[in-house]
Amino acid sequence: MAAGKEIQKGDVLLELEDVHMYFKGVAALSGVSLKIRKGEIHSVIGPNGAGKTVMMNCINGLYRPQQGSVSYKGERVNHLRPYQRAKLGMARTFQKVEVFGGLTVLDNIRLGRHLHYRAGVLSGAFYLGKAKKEEIEHRAFIEEQIIDLLEIEQIRHKPVGMLPYGLQKRVELGRALALEPELLILDEPLAGLNLEEVEDMARFILDINEEKRWRVTCLLVEHDMGVVMDLSDRIFVLNFGNMISDGTPDEVQNNPEVIKAYLGEEDLYATRR
Amino acid sequence: MSTTWLPCGKYHETYTQDHAWWQTTFIRGKMIALFAVLFVGIPLLADDYGLSICNNVGYTVLGALGVQLLIGYCGQITLGHAAFLAVGAYTSTLMILEFPWPQALLDWGLAYPISILVAAVVAGIWSVFFGLPSAKVKGFYLILTTMAAQFITVDFIITQYVSQIGGRGQAFSLPVGTIKVGPWVIDSDLKVYFMMLVLSIFLIAVMVNLLRSRVGRAWVAIRDNDISASVMGINVFGYKLLAFFVAGFIGGIAGAFWISNLAAISPEHFPWSWSLWLVGVILIGGVGSIHGTVFGSIFMVVVIEALQLVIMQFVDTSWGSRLFMDFLFIKEAAFGLVICAFMIFEPNGIAYRWWQAKNYFNLWPFSY
Ligand SMILES: Nc1ncnc2c1ncn2[C@@H]1O[C@H](COP(=O)(O)OP(=O)(O)OP(=O)(O)O)[C@@H](O)[C@H]1O
Ligand SMILES: [Mg+2]
Repeated sequence: MAAGKEIQKGDVLLELEDVHMYFKGVAALSGVSLKIRKGEIHSVIGPNGAGKTVMMNCINGLYRPQQGSVSYKGERVNHLRPYQRAKLGMARTFQKVEVFGGLTVLDNIRLGRHLHYRAGVLSGAFYLGKAKKEEIEHRAFIEEQIIDLLEIEQIRHKPVGMLPYGLQKRVELGRALALEPELLILDEPLAGLNLEEVEDMARFILDINEEKRWRVTCLLVEHDMGVVMDLSDRIFVLNFGNMISDGTPDEVQNNPEVIKAYLGEEDLYATRR
Repeated sequence: MSTTWLPCGKYHETYTQDHAWWQTTFIRGKMIALFAVLFVGIPLLADDYGLSICNNVGYTVLGALGVQLLIGYCGQITLGHAAFLAVGAYTSTLMILEFPWPQALLDWGLAYPISILVAAVVAGIWSVFFGLPSAKVKGFYLILTTMAAQFITVDFIITQYVSQIGGRGQAFSLPVGTIKVGPWVIDSDLKVYFMMLVLSIFLIAVMVNLLRSRVGRAWVAIRDNDISASVMGINVFGYKLLAFFVAGFIGGIAGAFWISNLAAISPEHFPWSWSLWLVGVILIGGVGSIHGTVFGSIFMVVVIEALQLVIMQFVDTSWGSRLFMDFLFIKEAAFGLVICAFMIFEPNGIAYRWWQAKNYFNLWPFSY
């Protein structure tokens, strides 16, 4: 990835400080602070409309908060556009899948590798040396590292738009992974999946985080409490744009404020959409 | 890119094979046959009338390629592409007429080829200039700014100022012998035909290559979902401008090529209707398809020629001669009708029908 300080496991990779985001005067985030450490799976939970997606958009640059700072590896990135933040090592998936529906699985994942390709207009136009060689190299990478990991060999040449929702989500994860990111933002990767797909997806997330090959720091937005409690190193609870808790799964589960925010949903584990 | 149907029991064993252009012997054979027809068959069999139709098709293909790139692959709707063809034609013409070429370059027949290259670059840069609004506007509003390209470039700058250079009046005519490529003076339909063929094949190959490499994929990503594209690390605005540059570049070549076929160049060769026509060609042929660009060009040129031939049959009757005199308007009406018909009956264009037919034969006898 692009130049930048090497961050050790346990160091702060991403930091939000007092982030405010308003839409026409309505606050979606009012003073959110968060530290994500390298190597962790840090989850963000909260009721619908709490501002989780807005928070993710602020982190990867789709939104620019009116106040507060977003820093990545110790450097303020507020002014950077999404593509520049991708260059720094951020990747993400979306709550409602945002795949390139008309393109094949392979081309979707290839697009995820955009930053790793080098060919420019000229070498591309003539498909000479560099362009040709790198197409083959990246193809090998995609096949061996991503298609294999996500078990999508059968559908590599299929247009993504024609696949069932669960597989689209998987392809979107593969595409994000193809960036070889340091920070992977997953906005509700389990929403809309059936039980078996949820298990698969949870396993992939764990693999991506733990396997020596990847060791990707994950920022996970999720409603499925069972999975969140199992996977997360830390959990951040957001309600109406405010943090109400940030700690280990145990701490969060026993926090009275959290229980109050989820009032009426007697059991945290029952919150499954 | 879609994948090729392989015969049963055949599989690619390396990624290189899966990435190749012509993946089976059958396809290679087909392509060789096509080239034989284009380079040997047509030149041997066609008369000047036939060749001039082919040249028209080629010019339409060259013009429409840039439109296809912008609309079909990058999702940037343009209604002013004739402006960049005009910039190419005028740059090349003016260089031939006004540039103090060293005698050696003239003797070697390099002046015109060099002017084509310069024309391409100038048209490319000019196109980028009109692509700048795409940073902020999309869809309908972008259509308006690209229309501005047409009116500012052709109706204002070229008609009012560029045409006055050298005091030749409205039209620039190129002296015999100035359009020279290497040892060949381009002075017959046949030579124009060969030049057209080489340029078209070359530029189509360039487009296909671009589309299967990093740059082309980025364009398609922007077309399909610009937010996702930016999250993938694609500099959306930069790649849009690159698309405008390449489209203008190809348009510049098209315009500079076409002066070899014109006795005199004037702004009337690049009207706004020609910009619309080029968009119509890709709508009919198929948006987002290189095949479609070629099919659309063939279809439009042939339909209009056929219409003209039919009307010619009746030129002795009073209404026939009337129709013949008004052919310019009839042509445009026919164009409009054809587009309407396609939008209603085959919105995916000819290329889609082609693809269906191909699949039918590939899967035969199990094609249902
Ligand atoms: N672009 C926008 N313009 C105006 N308001 C917005 C915009 N994006 C989000 N909001 C508002 O911000 C609030 C937080 O929305 P957000 O999508 O972040 O919720 P969420 O926590 O992701 O909820 P869910 O669990 O349903 O995905 C909502 O009230 C929403 O209406
Ligand atoms: Mg959300």
